[in-house]
Amino acid sequence: MNGLIDPEILDIVVTGLSWFAISAGSFFVLVGTIGLIRMPDVFTRMHAASLVDTLGAGLLIAGMMLQAGFTATSLKLLFIFLLLFITSPVATHAVAQATLEAGDLPELKVDRRDRARTAGDAVETPEA
Amino acid sequence: MELYVNLLLLTLMAATVIAIIQQSSLFSVVILSGIYSFLMASVLIVLDAVDVAMTEASVGAGISTVVLLGALHLTRTTALKSHQRVFLGLFVSVAVGTMLMWGVLGLPEFGVADAPVHTHVAPTYLLESIPETGIPNVVTTVLADYRGFDTFGETTVVFTAGIGVLLLLGGRRRRGRGAGAKDAPK
Amino acid sequence: MFVVATIAVALALALAVTRAILGPTVFDRVLAGNVVGTLAILLLAVIGFLSGRPEWLDIGLTYGLLNLIGTLAVLKYFRHGDLAHDAEKDGSRE
Repeated sequence: MNGLIDPEILDIVVTGLSWFAISAGSFFVLVGTIGLIRMPDVFTRMHAASLVDTLGAGLLIAGMMLQAGFTATSLKLLFIFLLLFITSPVATHAVAQATLEAGDLPELKVDRRDRARTAGDAVETPEA
Repeated sequence: MELYVNLLLLTLMAATVIAIIQQSSLFSVVILSGIYSFLMASVLIVLDAVDVAMTEASVGAGISTVVLLGALHLTRTTALKSHQRVFLGLFVSVAVGTMLMWGVLGLPEFGVADAPVHTHVAPTYLLESIPETGIPNVVTTVLADYRGFDTFGETTVVFTAGIGVLLLLGGRRRRGRGAGAKDAPK
Repeated sequence: MFVVATIAVALALALAVTRAILGPTVFDRVLAGNVVGTLAILLLAVIGFLSGRPEWLDIGLTYGLLNLIGTLAVLKYFRHGDLAHDAEKDGSRE
């Protein structure tokens, strides 16, 4: 391995990749939260917020893992990313279900709900 | 640079508190208080006090939110209109805040080596902690050994508060669920 | 890079708190609270790792769990009205 790849060039490549990943991660974090402000409805805001948890956190953590190398710190970073990656869709799904149960329906351009719905699936307002 | 991040976070905390005061739906107040605690934890992270930040996050954003929701279940969920005059409270808060800020101005510089707090008992603790107790963390020896009675009092207070809260929240549930809020959250 | 990432996460925190203050329904605020928690974890990771203190990442794991449990507790309360609700006994709604 020493004869094939020059360690200095490998170092430069890894550092460059990690800088790129951290910049891209910061960009996606900003885009996600700008979407959180500008989107018109709760459900579209959930789409924007999920960008922060997956792409934003993923690229930032990948950039930091490239800088950490093969140490225990990389493993901890990987665990943080896996935790965010697995728990944030659960939380988003729970928010969506709770919003639907409270009666807050999304604004749809073409309402295809009657075609897809079978009997007994109609969303009704809860009796609290 | 950390100063600017801290200034931004503290401004956000002030904006959150103003929003809490103006809300009339208590559900939103509970969630905004959770956000306030996470922001305070971020400020503490930037100031290098990470263990305090973890305590603040778990107490403020974890337990407090859940316990306040349990309390909301027992009472009403919209804020009552206050009939008192607001000027007396405003005057008292502004007066006390001004006196506190004036008192802070009289403190010595932050971190200066010959301030009284660093020359009284702190050198004794730092120098004699390991020979006397053998524990490498000085904070632990101060909390658990040199000032053990304070910690004992704190533990008693926290347990009493926890038992009180559990009695209040647990007793009503056996008499009937949903005795309080019947309106949908909005 | 450290400066860019910290500034980006701090600005994103400001935007998320703005949505929490503005949001007309309470579910907007729950969503913004979840995002504030995630951004606090990212701020912790960026400041800790890139300034040479990787021990702070353990606390990031704690924050992640707190964020999830807090959000789910709030939503369980909204949906069922009771934090101790057992979904198996209430077979009609699920």
